[in-house]
Amino acid sequence: MSGPAQESGQAAAAAPAGAGRRGGLGQGWPLLGLGLAMLALMLALTVFAPLVAPYDPSATSPDSLAPASAAHWLGTDSIGRDVLSRLIVGGRTTLLITVAAVLIALVAGLILGLAAGYLGGRTDEIVMRLLDVVFAFPVLLLAIAVVAALGPTVPNLILTIAIVYTPAMARVVRAPVLSVKRWDHVEAARSVGMSEMRLVLRHILPIVVSPILVATSLTLSQTIFTVTALSFLGLGPPPPDPNWGGMLSEARQFMELAPLTVIGPAAAIVFATLTFIIIANGLREVLDVGSVR
Amino acid sequence: MAAGQDGALRGPSRRSLLQLLTAGGAALAAPGLWSTLAAAQAPVAGGTLTIGADADPIGLDPVTVNAFSSYDFTSLIYSGLLRWNARMQVEPDLATGYEQPDPKTYLFRLRQGVKFHNGKDFTAADVKHTFDRIMDPATGSRLKALYSSVESVTVVDPFTVRFQLNATDAAFLSNLATNPNGAIVPAGVDGINAQPVGTGPFAFEAYQPNQQFSLTRFADYYEKGEPYLAKVVFRFFKDQATLTSALRSRAIDMTWVKDPKVAAAIARTSPQFVSAPGQTSRTFPIWLNMKAKPLNDVRVRRALSLATDRKACLDTVLGGSGKVGAMIPESQVGGYDGTGEMPYYRHDPAAAKALLAEAGYPDGIDLGDYIIVAANPLDVACAQILQQQWQTAGIAVKLVPMETAPLLSAWANGTWPTLLSVALSWTPDPDAIFQYVKSDSGFGKAMGSNDPELDRMILEARAELDVAGRAAKNLAIQQRIADNAYVIQIYQYPLRWEIWRDYVQGYVPLAANIRSFVRTTWLKK
Amino acid sequence: MTRFVLGRLAWMAAILLGVSLVAFLLMRAIPGDFAIAAAGSQSVAPEVLAAIRRDLGLDQPLMAQYLGWLGHALTGDLGTSFVTRRPVLGELLDRLAVTIQLTLLAAVIAAAMGVATGLAAARLRGVTDWLVRLWNGLMLAVPNYVVATLIVLLFGLYFPEVTVLGYTPFLENPLANLASLLLPAIALALAVSVTIAENTRAAVLEVANQDFVMVARAKGLTPATILRDYLMRNALTPVVTAAGLKIAALLGGSILVETIFAIPGMGQYLFDSINSRDYPVIQAIVLVAAGIVVLVNTLIDIAYARIDARVQM
Repeated sequence: MSGPAQESGQAAAAAPAGAGRRGGLGQGWPLLGLGLAMLALMLALTVFAPLVAPYDPSATSPDSLAPASAAHWLGTDSIGRDVLSRLIVGGRTTLLITVAAVLIALVAGLILGLAAGYLGGRTDEIVMRLLDVVFAFPVLLLAIAVVAALGPTVPNLILTIAIVYTPAMARVVRAPVLSVKRWDHVEAARSVGMSEMRLVLRHILPIVVSPILVATSLTLSQTIFTVTALSFLGLGPPPPDPNWGGMLSEARQFMELAPLTVIGPAAAIVFATLTFIIIANGLREVLDVGSVR
Repeated sequence: MAAGQDGALRGPSRRSLLQLLTAGGAALAAPGLWSTLAAAQAPVAGGTLTIGADADPIGLDPVTVNAFSSYDFTSLIYSGLLRWNARMQVEPDLATGYEQPDPKTYLFRLRQGVKFHNGKDFTAADVKHTFDRIMDPATGSRLKALYSSVESVTVVDPFTVRFQLNATDAAFLSNLATNPNGAIVPAGVDGINAQPVGTGPFAFEAYQPNQQFSLTRFADYYEKGEPYLAKVVFRFFKDQATLTSALRSRAIDMTWVKDPKVAAAIARTSPQFVSAPGQTSRTFPIWLNMKAKPLNDVRVRRALSLATDRKACLDTVLGGSGKVGAMIPESQVGGYDGTGEMPYYRHDPAAAKALLAEAGYPDGIDLGDYIIVAANPLDVACAQILQQQWQTAGIAVKLVPMETAPLLSAWANGTWPTLLSVALSWTPDPDAIFQYVKSDSGFGKAMGSNDPELDRMILEARAELDVAGRAAKNLAIQQRIADNAYVIQIYQYPLRWEIWRDYVQGYVPLAANIRSFVRTTWLKK
Repeated sequence: MTRFVLGRLAWMAAILLGVSLVAFLLMRAIPGDFAIAAAGSQSVAPEVLAAIRRDLGLDQPLMAQYLGWLGHALTGDLGTSFVTRRPVLGELLDRLAVTIQLTLLAAVIAAAMGVATGLAAARLRGVTDWLVRLWNGLMLAVPNYVVATLIVLLFGLYFPEVTVLGYTPFLENPLANLASLLLPAIALALAVSVTIAENTRAAVLEVANQDFVMVARAKGLTPATILRDYLMRNALTPVVTAAGLKIAALLGGSILVETIFAIPGMGQYLFDSINSRDYPVIQAIVLVAAGIVVLVNTLIDIAYARIDARVQM
């Protein structure tokens, strides 16, 4: 379930602090650069999707399950639609949901984590306990249950996924806040009478930025998994919107007859997930984030 | 079957042929004859046939069963007074013949020496017991409405039973021939919903939910020699893709798939598979809400029909498997076979635009929401194609895929705004389909049907006992519906596309969507 | 220690309560009439609908409904399926047994693969290390259902006679049972093994450098003792935690893999019940699955505390 990188995220939380850092897949900057380049490519393709896609993704034709050709680089699906075009336009919906959901989770997690970490005491307990209830559910299971109950529309999907990932974000924020709170210069600033708000903004927030960035990119990769898994199960954006998970699921019946209909969406999903993982790893190196796996 | 060509037994000749068969005794079933003609080799007894099923049965008591998934099993475990032969004609089964002293009375002569799976003899008492249960409101059987014309069922002697109807009913014999509608259950046996006992060719052996359902050959089945198979095992694969994979990897010998393109593709690439065209039994209609503008204007409706390229839909969605459709499929009496002339069926976007202009929409029209069943990929695909076709004629629609339950609710209550599609499946009698457009039925009212002439034609057709005459009347009804574009029909196709391995012999798919001919199936290995 | 354990157990009970509330509310939040969904058809007589409402307790206040449902659930009555009209519990237990088999097998494979590759990377360094890390990175990016689909595709294209789908019960044929679960278990295990591998590698590298190993050496303890007492104790912690979290997470991951490989487990049960809108089943599965996750996590926390007494709540 939780799939690919949630394990990393949870492992990051589980590993003892101060375990030190280890080199990523490469050294920091080249890795980050690669990841950002991949991201830029994806964004360019999806933002300019209507211009880039060779065909209208909904345009059907009697030429079904055609193999790769000059006309259709990745062939056609069961009702003759161009696979490549559907991948490009489908990427748009997938990324839209992913980015929107993670942004919401980020903001919510930031607020909750800061509140819990900084205010401490009762607030901390209450907030974290509530979040723990959500955290107890396997991500996919909760997402499935909510979407099945409320109906698979794009806003519901965004909201559900945001809810599901908020606790993890909050935890990532809370940890450094807790340790930073007691730092000397923060105590000093407080004793001098700096307002709490300024304190948070000037001293605490910057510390939080690095782990947040890493956590966000990790969460983005996990969200791609969750979104595509949901649409694979039939709980994604309704037709005729193309989406990667749905394409993969529909193509299974024709797998052996037209492998590209399966390989296309699979490759897209892997590419997108890999992009965010590479970015996360690169950021980790570059920002020298403390606790690693 | 085009009108007048169905070769089905007609009126008096039907009666006498059955009586002839009774007297003859040996020349039992046309299928027996049929399969012998069809298969040149002699059947070999023995072996296990493994069939892939896409849904578990829900209940095995034919009187109370509601789920289509159960029919696969009830059709092998139980038999009825009559049955469908391979050409979708009614023929004798547990009844060897009948007499009609008057049009509302049927006197069935029952076959002797038939046994239930528990060894008990089959007699008229079992027939009465079955129908008493159906008629009893406490049973809550959906069949009660189907047999509403049956007033009483009486045992005349152990092998003669009388059905007294309160009106002539052209659908009566069709219902008796359909499983599970006409299946006979044993009197005095409880718990058949879980432990079924019938007179069918196969007896219930074991059922592990979600895994498999096994049946064994009933040695005392009254058709000598049949069934050939020693055992039939259904294995469950709920997901279409896994079902197809199971077939290709030989985990199963036979199955049916929902998408004809899948079946055609499998058969095309692997010569070891046989894919059966079968007869079409399902249509894809677009129901129109005629209670308000703009669809209350026949010109707008006709324009919609002209803007539709049915052949293109057929080719793209079904891969050419199937035919252009009208109100009833070809497997029914008088069903449209896709070749005759139908009003406004030609694809003519220019004429559509002209009609729209005449109706006051020179710049095109927006017909709003087109509601479709989200769970049916074929429907969704067809709707997308239609949307594009209509666009070129200036008709805009917005596709709204909906959950099945609320969609059926909207359809039944007439609360859909303009366009809605939900496919119509096979029924034993075409009148059931016409009821949807009759102005005094629930559905007819929901769509705003208001054509007294059409109502009259439907009533007349239902009462017509002569088969050829009925076929002609049914065709005329369909033409009237198409002429007024009350419902836009696109194509007709088999509910399921059957596909099996080449060593499976003697199987014939039925438009009635039950696997009755497993009883004549044998394995050539 | 006892206080800690009791504390964790009490906390676990609290979370389970919260989980049950969420599971209950989710299904009551569905748009449309629950009674009609229960009846399974639109055209149901009003008296029948009213009877269904009474049966399901839908005419009572929400809190009463929740308590009633919870009470039933605790005694094992998880409701009746809308589709099969049979009690959910029996079916659920059968399915759960299959999923547990699959999950255990996947966990074993993941642990074996993970520890092996992690150790290899940590001890052998160099190219091996780099290769392992590359493999890990790729495996993280390929979701388990993509792996599963590709496996089925591969066999379908090149080894069409091999049956990769379906399930044989253990009692029927233990060897076939293992064979039927092997491929899906691998699909599930791949991504999970990555985390275990990385944890193992990091932990082994860390501990090997820490002071107390040097101190222990200086004290004259034999390598075997050092290994057993210090190295393993400190390396085990993150590995066990990660493994524990994974076992719990595998339950959720099985949803997709079971569907693709036609394994009749709890995941496939959830998939089918979503498609057929069988709400009591969805509710029961969410409750049981989340409950298991909470239970396992709590046990892991307790085990974690035992392994390393330095950890305090």
